[in-house]
Amino acid sequence: MRHISNTLAALMSDYKSQPDYRIYAFRPYEDSYTKIITNPAACHPLDITDLCSEISWSPTQVDFTFKDSTGDFNPDGGQFRSYLADGCILRLKEGDSRVSEDQWVWTFTGAIRGQLGWVMNRAKKTLESKVTVYSRDNTSAFKKRQMTTQNYTKGSDLGVALRDICKLMGITGGEIRIPYTLGRSFYFNNNQICQLAPWEGMSQLLEVAMDVPIFDGEGKLSSYSKNMNRPADVVFDDDSYILDYQVVSRADDAINKVQVTFLDSNMTKVGSTCQKLGEANITTGFFTFAEHLDCYFSQDKKQRAENTFMKVIKSINANLLPIGSESYKQIDDFHGEITISIGIWVPLLATGMLAAYVAAAWIPDYSTPGQPVVGVAMVDDFGPAPVVGTTKTPHPTLSWGKVIQAVALIGIMYIMMCLGSCQYEIWGTPYDMAYIEKRSIAIVEGIEYYQENELDIKNDFVGTQDWSDTLAMTELTYQQSKACPRQLTIRDYLGLEIGDIIQLKDGRKICISNMKKTIKRGQIAPLVIDGFKVLTY
Amino acid sequence: MSLRKIIDWSITEASGDLTGTIASPFYQFFDSNGSWTWACDVDIGKDQPLRNVPVANNNRDIIYAQVGMPVALKRQVGNNYAIVGLSKTTVGDTHIIYMRFGDAFGQVTGTARYANVYRPLTYGELANYYGGYGNVPYGSIGRFDANGDLVELIRSY
Repeated sequence: MRHISNTLAALMSDYKSQPDYRIYAFRPYEDSYTKIITNPAACHPLDITDLCSEISWSPTQVDFTFKDSTGDFNPDGGQFRSYLADGCILRLKEGDSRVSEDQWVWTFTGAIRGQLGWVMNRAKKTLESKVTVYSRDNTSAFKKRQMTTQNYTKGSDLGVALRDICKLMGITGGEIRIPYTLGRSFYFNNNQICQLAPWEGMSQLLEVAMDVPIFDGEGKLSSYSKNMNRPADVVFDDDSYILDYQVVSRADDAINKVQVTFLDSNMTKVGSTCQKLGEANITTGFFTFAEHLDCYFSQDKKQRAENTFMKVIKSINANLLPIGSESYKQIDDFHGEITISIGIWVPLLATGMLAAYVAAAWIPDYSTPGQPVVGVAMVDDFGPAPVVGTTKTPHPTLSWGKVIQAVALIGIMYIMMCLGSCQYEIWGTPYDMAYIEKRSIAIVEGIEYYQENELDIKNDFVGTQDWSDTLAMTELTYQQSKACPRQLTIRDYLGLEIGDIIQLKDGRKICISNMKKTIKRGQIAPLVIDGFKVLTY
Repeated sequence: MSLRKIIDWSITEASGDLTGTIASPFYQFFDSNGSWTWACDVDIGKDQPLRNVPVANNNRDIIYAQVGMPVALKRQVGNNYAIVGLSKTTVGDTHIIYMRFGDAFGQVTGTARYANVYRPLTYGELANYYGGYGNVPYGSIGRFDANGDLVELIRSY
């Protein structure tokens, strides 16, 4: 709702109102939007009102016929030709001639795009041009060029990003009617708008707050809400303002399903099925009390997994003698550790057997006089020496030491045979962290699949399921309201803007989607309002 | 729906990047060109998974991904999708709100939750569904809803 002074409002409601208007042209390159809007006193526009006729107005476009009888605006040499050049800003100010112009309101601010076409009227000796002025957002700078914003941290209000986009587009704080904070914040740790048109970026940020950006008549950035539950902006208590009311026809299908898709800001564990993650072949020895082996769940050591366990393919205890224990534990998300523990008795026994083996080598063989010689070695005073048997005939001999050595050797070899390689597999459920794309669908009850007409909204700034639900319901209500188009013709009311809700005497509410009028001096212009009946929930 | 909207819709649809979740083990698929290719079923959050989605060339590592992993799909010539890589986003569940509108007011008449979960059937499920043990082999993949109820059998090997 555009602010108008009480004096002007009172005069406009009067049947004797005397509407008046002014059209001003500003010099391009010298008078920018910022300068015009925030510091109008520094500008020296040209009043071209008297040269304009057949003025048709809408919030996004103004058309008029420009008649130049002096040739001052002749594009080929006229002294004021630069005032109607490409990019030249024009403003329309409306009010009542009974109050000073200071209390009038700007109802349109826009610029000429491209080159105007001129026709010489030979009969009247005037140059004529059909001038079309477009609102501020209708430029390729806003809607075609792509931009990338800086990075915003979690918790920053979306309004901060909006202000930065405005700054990028040369819109200063004085040209913005939207509050600094939108009441919604970023949910991700890193937030950047990347390669989007500025207008699209603004729309996405405001969409989260259920708002739609527009430029108002003054050329300032504003917005209107899609929330139909808000109170009416203007109430017409009697029918004096209403000239005509129409229920217009509608040919297109109404949106009956709204799907809001957003990325959940919390990364979610995405698991897979239980599977083999790795395998280990381990060879251990006598004196390895504990063998530790890191087992990663992928070769690049970057695979996460959970619920991992070890499957024993060939155990360290697979042989007759259980010689140790084998265990597995997960160390972190990326790897686990296999531990093979050899019983302490194994090295002790091996050492003992080895010692016995060596010691048994020193056991001498003894002979008894009168008995057959047993053994091949005798010990004399000079130590052990090979001795040829003292008997005349050779006898089989058995060394006691050999027997003991053989026992020791069998013990050692048995342990050796029991030790050796073992084989394991590590199984588990690999997972990764991923952003979950969640959805809220608001749908009209009872419709079949083939009757659905869907509106898909994708916005990663939504953040939470609750807010996504709210957005979906609000949008569906808005779309269902739009499916009930109405047209009102009223006496001009300068305070109205797109998105405003008008309440009629009987309580019906109409939301404005577009307006148009033809302006003539001294004549109360009927304002044709395209809108729709407001539904709430 | 205006012609402009239909064209816009077609353009959007044709731009063709999707994310999904692997809904079956990879298998060899005999495609229409008469060659064998690796393929799998992919859940894209709709009522039915995309069937026989081939893996794009030079992405052999993908075939080692298992059920439940998010993948990126790209539209190919002939309106087919192919798996072009693993994805950092995946399809989650959907909250559905049913609304009824009158002359001036709308109201919420109900809510529901929709989700597709693809996973192998457990021993208990193998025993309880499809006539008991033996009728469906171990390792069969099923589609489950948001409440964990089995909707259908996707693959049985």
